[in-house]
Amino acid sequence: MKVQVDPERCQGHTLCSMIAPALFTLNDEDGHSTAVDGEVPADLEAKAAEAIRSCPEQAIAVIP
Amino acid sequence: MSTEPVTDDERKQNRYHFDRHTPEYREQFTQVTAEMLDKCPVAWSDTYGGHWVAAGHSEVFELARSADYLSNDHDPANERRGYKGISIPSPEVAFRGGFLEMDPPEQRYYRQLLNPYLSPAAVARWAPLVDEIVRASLNEKIETGRIDFVDDLANIVPAVLTLGMLGIPLEHWDIYVEPIHASVYTPPNSPDMPRLQASRLAMRDDMMGQLSSIRASGRPGLIHALATAEINGTVPPDFELLGIISLLIGGGFDTTTALTAHALEWLSEHPDQRERLSAERDTLLNPATEEFLRYFTPAPGDGRTISADCELAGQQFKEGERIWLSWAMSNRDPEVFPNPNEVDLARTGNRHHSFGLGIHRCIGSNVARMVFKRMVTAVLDRMPDYVCDPAGAEHYQTIGIIQGMKHLPATFTPGPRIGDGLNETIARMQVLVDQERLADPVTVRKGAADAT
Repeated sequence: MKVQVDPERCQGHTLCSMIAPALFTLNDEDGHSTAVDGEVPADLEAKAAEAIRSCPEQAIAVIP
Repeated sequence: MSTEPVTDDERKQNRYHFDRHTPEYREQFTQVTAEMLDKCPVAWSDTYGGHWVAAGHSEVFELARSADYLSNDHDPANERRGYKGISIPSPEVAFRGGFLEMDPPEQRYYRQLLNPYLSPAAVARWAPLVDEIVRASLNEKIETGRIDFVDDLANIVPAVLTLGMLGIPLEHWDIYVEPIHASVYTPPNSPDMPRLQASRLAMRDDMMGQLSSIRASGRPGLIHALATAEINGTVPPDFELLGIISLLIGGGFDTTTALTAHALEWLSEHPDQRERLSAERDTLLNPATEEFLRYFTPAPGDGRTISADCELAGQQFKEGERIWLSWAMSNRDPEVFPNPNEVDLARTGNRHHSFGLGIHRCIGSNVARMVFKRMVTAVLDRMPDYVCDPAGAEHYQTIGIIQGMKHLPATFTPGPRIGDGLNETIARMQVLVDQERLADPVTVRKGAADAT
């Protein structure tokens, strides 16, 4: 599984990086999130799912 | 979707008498919320000249993120469309409350200007200062076994930090703290009003003085960014900047105080959960913070004005109508939060609305979380057996603007002071702020780091 953050929807709530700091990087200037490249490691898939579920803007999606 | 013309009565058939400024609303919050969520997640209320109220989570989610149809604009001089901003009812003395009462693109210019002072990376630099102010505040009471968590801790730390970030001398915190908190909970007809007005004037004088002195000295901080800003090619007038500084101060002080007081009160009532939070803080502090934010929702909502006829969240709206987006009620929606009226420190999927949603997401959210966590953990460490005194705990009578507390006295087993007291610490921290240029935006740091 891979995840991505929609930059148009993200408003910098930062919950994703609180839940899965290894999967999301926050921009220094505005705190908006970007997903790390590549496959989500199997042991972090549950955390990725929780980040998706917790995003107040519903800005995170799984990509094929 | 059909857009057949309908009468106002048809559009407003979901009705609910909603008055969030009454003590009854606070007392009956759980019932009112359950009823609205169940029967009318968007309803028309006849109060305050008539306005819509959105309570449902999915409805608030859709509405708050529809900035093309919901305006934050406050236009007291009637230069645009005369909209009334985010307060319902509109205050009698009307001035624009910073970028929270602006629409894009103007709102976006200010956010872009100030974000580099308030981003997670910018805020992290202040953590050592916050720890010092927290330590010193607790020192003042630790040997006595008695503290008022509002007056002696939660009022002080957010205020000192906010002034530091603005670029105002830290020792001025007591000029600001009283008028800001008292303005929220003092009713207009209170006998205390003349004294409050005097303290407000003193605060405003200091704020104006700071704006001009920072403009001259170049002292870093949020005010410096504003004092030297060009917004879309023009220099904003000082009254606009004072509105923004007031917004930052109002947002920075009372909300975090309210969250901290409520959380500490709840933890006193649930000592087993307090022990659990303290023991498992590495994994539990983050979700517990989000849960306290959800459950206590310090800023319970925002008003908007419908800026074009539209159908959103299953409801037809007309241009010019006012609408209240209730973060507090949407945070109790059982569709999203199982057992919504219970505090679950480990709650997952906590998509609460306590910092708002969309383009107006609380710009200080990173500050609030950081300060809250450091205040609470310091109390858990130094006063682990504290017991709040329910007879002395004083909640705001109404929760229309902030769900806050005036007082939260507690007793605990006395402990030793660690290091110096509050005034000495504030003086030392001022030196740190100046020497380290803590109040510079992250962009300056980054530029310096890139250049080396």
